[in-house]
Amino acid sequence: MAATLCSKLLPKHGWLPLTQSVRHGSKAVTRHRKPLHIQKQKLLAVTQYIPPAREFPPGAYPSQTKHVQEDNDLTLLMKRELKKLFEDCKMIAVVQNSSSSAEDMMTLRHRLYKHNITVKFFPNKVVRSFLSDSIYCNMGLLFVGPTVMFVSKEPKVKEMLTTLRGSPQMTLLGACIDNTLLSAQGIVSYSKLPSMTVIQGEVVSGLSMLTSHTAYLLQRHPAHLSQLLQQYIKQQSSDGSAEAAPKAEEAT
Amino acid sequence: MAAPSKATVVLKAVKKITVQFCPFESNVRSTREFLTLVGSEKARATNMNCEVIPVVKHDKSEPVVDITYVDGEKLLMKGANLTSSEMLSAFQSRCVAKDPQAKVGEKK
Repeated sequence: MAATLCSKLLPKHGWLPLTQSVRHGSKAVTRHRKPLHIQKQKLLAVTQYIPPAREFPPGAYPSQTKHVQEDNDLTLLMKRELKKLFEDCKMIAVVQNSSSSAEDMMTLRHRLYKHNITVKFFPNKVVRSFLSDSIYCNMGLLFVGPTVMFVSKEPKVKEMLTTLRGSPQMTLLGACIDNTLLSAQGIVSYSKLPSMTVIQGEVVSGLSMLTSHTAYLLQRHPAHLSQLLQQYIKQQSSDGSAEAAPKAEEAT
Repeated sequence: MAAPSKATVVLKAVKKITVQFCPFESNVRSTREFLTLVGSEKARATNMNCEVIPVVKHDKSEPVVDITYVDGEKLLMKGANLTSSEMLSAFQSRCVAKDPQAKVGEKK
């Protein structure tokens, strides 16, 4: 304002005016609430926010439709990978690691890789949503907190247990072996089972034992009879030879 | 609330911690989080003699944390209806009560 006044009053450059009007009396920053200009007042009154009328307060009734979050592409990719994993691998173990440094992790991975066991990391939410859709819904409870998955094509439980015993901070929670959900004790007892051939041999011998027992029972009587007859013949022959020997002695 | 009030867990006055839970139950989340916090590398580094033993069972029993202190006192926490932060605060208050000198030294 002062500059515009000055530009009118100053005919030539460099000349100060005789009178200088100083604007006073209307400061922007005041200690009291400055009354709004009437135009501003009108504008605010016209553009005031009127909230939509609600029939009931917002927290009174539960929401009817649950907004289902659509999976983004990364989630879909991970779900596809999980599906392939569950189809390929016979053994999937879930382990909680409360703490392990990167070196421990590397040594563990190296030891497990020797037995063809891979270590997989997946976000818990994705895994749980995938499992709830598939048949493995009861496994979803295991995936809470920092969990790691050990997967392998062959169920090599003994080697896995020995490797895990070496690292104390890994806690074995459960495993899904051959589509069967096992607890920690179940895994230990699974590792103590003998191999398939031994079990098959045991089953075959157990079944054939019954039939062999039946056959023995059926043959018992004729066998006994034949034994008795043989003994009788022996006795007869020994009597006959005994009689023949004294007769021969008498004769000679 | 997963993050505790203090960043580090000091185990100086603790001899042994046994964390027992059944992973197929639904009330074990806080116990598992407590195990994660207590069994971390930092916490272990404060006291190398302290043992942290997780026990996994399958008998629908309640999750239980059994802490044995150096002077023989035992603290038993049943984590079925507790949050991990509550358990941690109770545990740390006992630790501080037992070993105030170490705590004051750390604060300084």
